[in-house]
Amino acid sequence: MDLERRLRDLKDRMTYIRDIFGTREDDSIRLLEARLGEALEREARTPGSVSAEELARLDDLFSFSERKLDTMLTPMDRVRIVRHPQRICLKDILENVYDNYTEIGGRGEFNIDPSMCIARAYFSRRVGEKVVRQMIMVIGHEKGHGEAYRNGGSAKPWGNAKALHYMKVAETENIPVHTFIFTPGAYPVEDWPGAAQQIARNLYEMAALRVPVISVCSEGGSGGAEAIGLADRRIMLSHGYYSVISPEGAAAIEGGLRGGERATPELIARCATRLRITADDNLQNGYVDRVLREPPLGARPHHYEFFRELRRELIQATNEAVSEVKSMKLFRAMAVRASRTDEAESIFMRWNLSPSALNRLVELRQRKYRAMSRHARLDGTGLFSRAAAGARGTVDAVHSYLRYDLLGRQKKRLDAMFEELGAEAHLVRHKLLMPLKRSMDKVLVSGPEGRRGVDPHEELTRLSCPEDGACLSGSQWAWISPRSQEDRTVSCPNVRTHHCPDLWVPDLLGDFAGVCPNCGHHFPMEYRWYLENVFNYRESREFNRDLESINPLNYEQFDLKLDKAKEATGLKSACLTFETTIESVEAVVAVLCAPFRGGSVGAAEGEKFIRAAERAGRKRQPFIAYVHGTAGIRIQEGVNGVIQMPRCTIAVRRYIDAGGLYLVLYDTNSYAGPVASFLGCSPYQFAVRSSNIGFAGPGVIAETTGLPVPPNYHRADHALSRGHIHGIWDRREAKKNLHQALLTMGGRNLYYR
Amino acid sequence: MVPDRHKVLIANRGEIAMRVMRACRELDLDFVAVCTEADRESGHIRLARELAGDGAVYRIVSYLDANELFAVADAAGATAVHPGYGFFAEDFRFARRVVRRDRPMEFIGPSWWVIRDLGDKINTKRIARSLGVPTVPGSDRPVYSELEAEEIAANLFDFQAAQGIVDGVVMVKASAGGGGMGIEEVGSFEAFRSVFRRIRNYAKRNFGDEGVLIEQRIFDFNHLEVQVVAERGGKAQVHFGTRNCSIQSTGKQKRLEVAPGFAPDVIPYTFDASGVLDAITRHSLAMAKEAGYDNVGTWEWIVTPRGEPFLMEVNTRIQVENGVSAVISRVHDRPVDIVSEQIRLALGGRLGYSQDDIRFEGVGIEYRIVAENTDNRFTPCTGTITRFAWRPHDWLTVHTQVPQDRAYEIPMEYDPNLALALVWGRDLAEVRERGLRFLDELVLEGESGGRSEAFYSNVKYLRDQTGGILEF
Repeated sequence: MDLERRLRDLKDRMTYIRDIFGTREDDSIRLLEARLGEALEREARTPGSVSAEELARLDDLFSFSERKLDTMLTPMDRVRIVRHPQRICLKDILENVYDNYTEIGGRGEFNIDPSMCIARAYFSRRVGEKVVRQMIMVIGHEKGHGEAYRNGGSAKPWGNAKALHYMKVAETENIPVHTFIFTPGAYPVEDWPGAAQQIARNLYEMAALRVPVISVCSEGGSGGAEAIGLADRRIMLSHGYYSVISPEGAAAIEGGLRGGERATPELIARCATRLRITADDNLQNGYVDRVLREPPLGARPHHYEFFRELRRELIQATNEAVSEVKSMKLFRAMAVRASRTDEAESIFMRWNLSPSALNRLVELRQRKYRAMSRHARLDGTGLFSRAAAGARGTVDAVHSYLRYDLLGRQKKRLDAMFEELGAEAHLVRHKLLMPLKRSMDKVLVSGPEGRRGVDPHEELTRLSCPEDGACLSGSQWAWISPRSQEDRTVSCPNVRTHHCPDLWVPDLLGDFAGVCPNCGHHFPMEYRWYLENVFNYRESREFNRDLESINPLNYEQFDLKLDKAKEATGLKSACLTFETTIESVEAVVAVLCAPFRGGSVGAAEGEKFIRAAERAGRKRQPFIAYVHGTAGIRIQEGVNGVIQMPRCTIAVRRYIDAGGLYLVLYDTNSYAGPVASFLGCSPYQFAVRSSNIGFAGPGVIAETTGLPVPPNYHRADHALSRGHIHGIWDRREAKKNLHQALLTMGGRNLYYR
Repeated sequence: MVPDRHKVLIANRGEIAMRVMRACRELDLDFVAVCTEADRESGHIRLARELAGDGAVYRIVSYLDANELFAVADAAGATAVHPGYGFFAEDFRFARRVVRRDRPMEFIGPSWWVIRDLGDKINTKRIARSLGVPTVPGSDRPVYSELEAEEIAANLFDFQAAQGIVDGVVMVKASAGGGGMGIEEVGSFEAFRSVFRRIRNYAKRNFGDEGVLIEQRIFDFNHLEVQVVAERGGKAQVHFGTRNCSIQSTGKQKRLEVAPGFAPDVIPYTFDASGVLDAITRHSLAMAKEAGYDNVGTWEWIVTPRGEPFLMEVNTRIQVENGVSAVISRVHDRPVDIVSEQIRLALGGRLGYSQDDIRFEGVGIEYRIVAENTDNRFTPCTGTITRFAWRPHDWLTVHTQVPQDRAYEIPMEYDPNLALALVWGRDLAEVRERGLRFLDELVLEGESGGRSEAFYSNVKYLRDQTGGILEF
């Protein structure tokens, strides 16, 4: 009986190996198969003919071969491991790592989102004679060993909203949060609260969440992973992956596939290798803090030793995060630092923190992310100018502090006082002098007549002087598209419904700013148009121009494409940052321009964006992000790109918390990562009528959800009705509206007028 | 490249197209005419066939489709475009397209930038004020602030009180509006603020721009015009006198025009009429000079009962009533035709005379004969003209696209103007008498289309109005 069971176990192990390695041929696999096959055959012929020793030998051979195979795993094999139904899932962890738990809102299928699991759990620890329970909020994706309703751990927007809600609950209760990332990516539907918007909201809140957050990453697919992944300590399981996009997705983009076409397995495997998605790669790049070793060929639910290690690791990481900021720690901090993980259980530390410690915790978290991904960009700024810029930054900061924080507050008080005094004086004067004036008027009737020397008509004509506007006006626009020189006509696409007359191209792209005057259809327009006509680029001061996009992963053929983009646009990255004046309001502007690699965001773009936000904060100026299209995170930079999501969001959060006004203006197509993080988290997002906004493009949605996507799914109007953006502007009125927005929405501490 | 012989595309229909064709013949130019389905039988097409042959007439679908017109121009090899009046005449984008195409042509009309600058009423007002030319009191730019608006309104009410107007009215209108939307009248300063706010909100909601214009509403005025003619380059400008266009239908359509604008010696006015005529011609020429005006155009003025002229707008095109100015004007004692002057000057000809060489002689009346019911708010009348004839005189010119030898169906697509009759007399009494005589001799019979109502024309209305011309 026992033998039979052991034989079956071995058979299962064989099947698992086959699942992981697929059709790949290897000597050890062949050997295992042959030996197992022989034993099975013998057993089938004459039951009981396989002896216990033989089985033990076979078992040893299996263990040995598994260890050997483990060293040969390719990135794609690891992807198959984490997606295997036998992979550990959150329920297993809750059962085996924590001492007790209550799942919140979970009863299988009957759950707001079965793929996002929340639980209150505790570790019980023996401290001297006492047993102490340490409460934890556990948040994570649940794959449920392949249960269909778990959706493979792909959380829906409302699942992420639930996660955010319980993070806030943990904040209230002052208990640490442990998050577990088991997701191939977020479920890309735009239903309220919207995939992109909810991830952005999560990131924005987590950027300053006032409790320790520890995250464990097994399968980290881009946006879905970021939604709960911004943490003080990030632990990664050795067989997991953490990537900007699934290898299949990368292959589809690489191969330029459309519709139902599938990429070849070879291409997928190649992409998996190129993207550097494994735990060790991420540790090397500094995006995770520790890698937790798993049993050979990945942890499965029966690896109890692994769960014990995970428990120790979680306690250690939480201890570390807490001890860094705790005021009463003394020796324990030293002990935590010195101890190896296996002793973690012996050190007890209370995990709820005082308000000041929480401030330090958040500050440390933000600084930790700020320092990331330095290797993935190239700063071409000279040493001298860098020093000068640094000095100027300091001067700016000091100046703003003096002017706005120190003196500004006093001046405001003084102004208010003088205003009050003036009003009092006016009242007194009025009361005293009016009777006098009235009697004077009665005596000297001709008095006012005499003063009236000016002809009333003359006075009327002087109401507005003709000099203040050019009588013979030129073109309304400072810059018009070079395409406007062509002598040809185009038809408006709405001609069927709106009966628009055909438009002559010089008129359309010149006077009409590319907008059909009849129906308001927006034809595409270069980003230069906005730079010149909205952001006054000609008189602006650009900074960090020499921060350059590079190819940090040495992705094949990407250097060439990057050089081509740099040459074609004359830019060094897709982000353009400058200080400008919009109708006498000073502001810092960051532009993402589509002609440079689709406006995708990599390490250089992220850094420029962060520096722009910091500069705006230093100078106490509004910060405007103008998005002339973004295709998402630059996949060729791998995790170097995806880490810009939390990084930039943290920068924006810091800026807004300091009292800044952060305003986003979308144009053309804005999708994926940036929208789901630092753009989507803005409280003021506006779109030009021509824009499409969403989390994933229609192709990806159709592919992942199998739902038909209506053609206007991502249009600005729909984004507005879904609550993703907060206003639609006409291109011709973009500048006016922007100025008005700046005048009407002031930040808390920003005196920019 | 200047072609040896210009070929003019006449992008218009009816009476003006016929006059341009005749002018082209006179100047020895080729021309091409266009014709829509509805205008097959129209007189201008017959005239074009007569003067230039069947090849010179091109079929189009709409006179308002610029692409079609340019396709015709290219096919026919036209080198100049005459827009007539209406349609594209005051569209500066059309004028600009004509000269900026890959195959540029001459635009017979003012240069496009002149049309743009003077086509905008607000801009016109600014130019006028910068030169000290009186304009209708009020704001000359969109007002956004309530304080400024109230100041303007207060000034306007004061001004009206000073003028002796008992119940003055101020117009508040959305600057981005048009076609009568977003206009309200305010009778008192107390009511002004709420109206201003209402209009501002209306404008913001409907036009996206909350700018508001505030103007004085002037009742009971006379409508005068100054005909300006200038050569290309904007160097030399002359005027061909004034005309009075105060007799208008309910829709503010002129029905009877008289040149000159006033008859100071014959009719007793309460103000100095010759002084007003002098002032408006002087101001018009000053503005034309300032704006670099370089073709034919009209300055429109309103004159209040107290004899104050205010500039209303500038029409940067040839007008319907140009003939009535021409009929009283003599250059070097020879008659003049403003349409052919326009073509000649637009194609680069020099003016060749100065204001001193122009003399005015007699009085002219222009009647617009229209199929409409004058008793019922000038409702246009459709139908067929069965008979249209008049007795020729040497003091009479009739421009019409209605054929005299057969029935003519009035096209529904265009305005129901049938004919222009120009009558000249040595003095006011003679021209009145001749005008009445012409109207008596005129035979106009038709059948109403559709319903069984009678056929209407405005001949009786014109006869009634003739007695009171030039009286304030």
